[in-house]
Amino acid sequence: MLPGPGARKEKNVDIVVLLKQVPATESLIQVADDGVSIKTEELKWVINPYDEFAVEEALRIREAQGGSVTVLSVGTDKAVEAIRTALAMGADTGVLVNDPAALGKGALATARVLAAAVKQIPFDLVIAGQRAVDADQFQVGPAVAEYLRIPNVSMVIKTELLDGSIRCHRTIEGGTVVVESPLPMLFTTQRGLNEPRYASLPGIMKAKKKPLETKTLADFGLDAGALEGPTARIRALSPPAERGGGRIIEGESAAEKAAALVKALHEEAKVI
Amino acid sequence: MAQIIADRRDIDFVLHEQFEVEQLSEHERFQEFTKKTIDMVVTEARNLAVKEILPTREESDRQGCVFEDGKVTVPECFHRVWELYKEGEWLAMPEDPEYGGQGMPTCVALAASDYLVGANYAFMMYSGLTHGAGKLVEAFGTEQQKKMFLKKMYTGEWTGTMLLTEPEAGSDVGALTTAAVKNDDGTYSIAGSKIFISSGEHDMAENIIHPVLARIEGAPAGTKGISLFIVPKFWVNEDGSLGELNDVVCTGIEEKMGIHGNSTCSLTMGGKGGCRGLLLGEENKGMRAMFLMMNDARLLVGLQGYTCASNAYLYALNYARERVQGKNLLKMMDKDAPSVPIIQHPDVRRMLITMKAFTEGMRSLLYYAGLCEDRIKVAADADETAKWQGIADVLIPICKGYVTERAFEICSTALQVYGGYGYIKDYPLEQLLRDVRITLIYEGTNGIQAMDLLGRKLGMNKGKPVMDLLGEMQQIVAQAKQIDVLQAPAAATEKAINRLAEVGMQIGATAMSPKVLEAFSFAHPFMMVTGDVVMAWMLLWRAVLAAQKLEKGAKKKDVAFYEGQIKSIDFFAGQMLPITMGKMEAIMAMNPAAIEISEESFGG
Repeated sequence: MLPGPGARKEKNVDIVVLLKQVPATESLIQVADDGVSIKTEELKWVINPYDEFAVEEALRIREAQGGSVTVLSVGTDKAVEAIRTALAMGADTGVLVNDPAALGKGALATARVLAAAVKQIPFDLVIAGQRAVDADQFQVGPAVAEYLRIPNVSMVIKTELLDGSIRCHRTIEGGTVVVESPLPMLFTTQRGLNEPRYASLPGIMKAKKKPLETKTLADFGLDAGALEGPTARIRALSPPAERGGGRIIEGESAAEKAAALVKALHEEAKVI
Repeated sequence: MAQIIADRRDIDFVLHEQFEVEQLSEHERFQEFTKKTIDMVVTEARNLAVKEILPTREESDRQGCVFEDGKVTVPECFHRVWELYKEGEWLAMPEDPEYGGQGMPTCVALAASDYLVGANYAFMMYSGLTHGAGKLVEAFGTEQQKKMFLKKMYTGEWTGTMLLTEPEAGSDVGALTTAAVKNDDGTYSIAGSKIFISSGEHDMAENIIHPVLARIEGAPAGTKGISLFIVPKFWVNEDGSLGELNDVVCTGIEEKMGIHGNSTCSLTMGGKGGCRGLLLGEENKGMRAMFLMMNDARLLVGLQGYTCASNAYLYALNYARERVQGKNLLKMMDKDAPSVPIIQHPDVRRMLITMKAFTEGMRSLLYYAGLCEDRIKVAADADETAKWQGIADVLIPICKGYVTERAFEICSTALQVYGGYGYIKDYPLEQLLRDVRITLIYEGTNGIQAMDLLGRKLGMNKGKPVMDLLGEMQQIVAQAKQIDVLQAPAAATEKAINRLAEVGMQIGATAMSPKVLEAFSFAHPFMMVTGDVVMAWMLLWRAVLAAQKLEKGAKKKDVAFYEGQIKSIDFFAGQMLPITMGKMEAIMAMNPAAIEISEESFGG
């Protein structure tokens, strides 16, 4: 809820959330006939789960500090659903970059487009998922920070907003580290940061009245030729091998079976 | 993995293709409900249902409710989900936004409830009872009472119940003995005991509001002397704040066959002489109030039963596709032939198509009943209002009585598809079969539903509502006759509709003759054949649309769905309607054995 004019808080924070629509993890993923893409016809699409953390964190910061939350996505018409869902959760504004020239060019090109779009929105904070669960590249968030020349903190599990800066707790191997960054900055989310809310019915009703702009590369002064890529090309996609059947260790007694198991683990599986 | 709880493609088909529910948004009252909004409502209901409510279903069944020292503890997992449900404001979807509702078309609310109720209906009963109790306050309360109770109820902060049944007053409500005496301050002192109170006592809300049926001292006997009262667990002051604990004591909960997550309570009011209540509506008009709420309550129970069937069918379908057992019948003699998924076996396919056809037909029926309610709200004139109200009134006993009977059969058939595994607790079917069973009993047993259809609805307004309904059916038949592939089912459906009209005339006339007992001994069969014909109508309607879409060239992913629609009516007309025709012959013949047999001759 945005505070009214009389209740305007001191430290309004304007936040941009980078959001990607991805196939739902419950969907059955099948390789398409071309062998290098997936069948999309029957997929159910959702907000990338790490981006859901980003939306939730943005809403919590806004609720505590005042300010605004803008959701920004690069995608096709279909991505409108994901943006509307974020608006139903409580975000204020949506921006969709819907331009064929911006799609399928890889993580760095996407980051360039996003950075160009963010530049047109007043912001103190950019929040992104650490990765999208479809391509698992981990690149877009940090690359956007680079293009914007702002600090980046990744894998954040807790935030504390200070005066003009933010303290982020981020996961590292075997522990967490606490870092502080001046605003504006970008951070990416890690599981554990929060529990995203569900869209409420009143939220759904309000969502369609909220502004949702559609833009193309020309709106940012980018032309398609400026976006090179993709830098990597997919040669082939294949589903993971099916799990083989289990094996039952035979033996006369428990001791004999245990001995056979230890032998198998040691000599065949080489795990002990 | 196919879908769980409810088939989204089918829900979308019924909402947008069969009933074109978005057209309601042309009316100011529903203008917000465009297709996009409707889709988002269903998507988010599904989201909450699948992620949060469904995981409580098995756990709450195992854990059940616990009664100790007058207090009831619900399954632990309910608390968190109740909070999420409240936050989402799902409780009073079709009600007036002024009192905390969302102003949603009932048809759309039913689609959302398909998932929410379908995920765990024992949990959703706390919501359903609250909604119903709130509606009583909204319809009959004074402005002051609405201010005191309504918002808290529609937001789920307080929950509600319905105190009707007593040990000697169940189906015969008029026999109740709970007494009310007016006090000097305008409140009433209430004394009596009620049983089978769903959600009667629990630990999920700070207050529970009990609408109570009682007889004011000196009022006439029977249903004409019954009044309705609001009896809160904690007294509510005029400013809405909570007062002292009222004298309403939970004396126990039932150990039930199913719906273990919902507390079924016995409540004693005024045991210590201190139970106070507020009159809701006028004195001695309590039963009238009950009747006004009956359609909603019965439609909800129909939906509860229905969702068990929808769940059961989808589980069975998944299982049949994955479970490998036995060779394909055509390769029985080939010893090297591989075992195949059981969906290839003819008898399993028989079970699956039976469940499919009924599940689809019943979804259409229930949403259609909701649509009638919506059309009443936006009707242009009194004639239109009367038409949709009449059709809804005729269909309600079908929505409750017929649907729950078929839902039970579907749960049983789905369990059969699982074989021995269906019978054990590791799989979800045995719970669904237990849970669904009560829907045939409560909110008016199915025997009562059948009597309602024969005794009240059939002859209501000189039979006009029934004629209106038959007219709607005939329109679909006329459309189907224009389509080549639907010739046979259209003819079979038309024949069944015409025969039903004859059967209705005869059993209706018999019910008003000296053979009234014989007629009512066929009330249940009459309800069932009426339901079958309604199924045929709905399935034919679906198939007409499907055939038209296929003709125009449907998208690849829709082709199988539409072809499936044509197969459903093909199956139903070819395999079910002949049985229905036979049952109708039996009703026409009206064998009197059940009435004539002496009570001694029953043996035992």
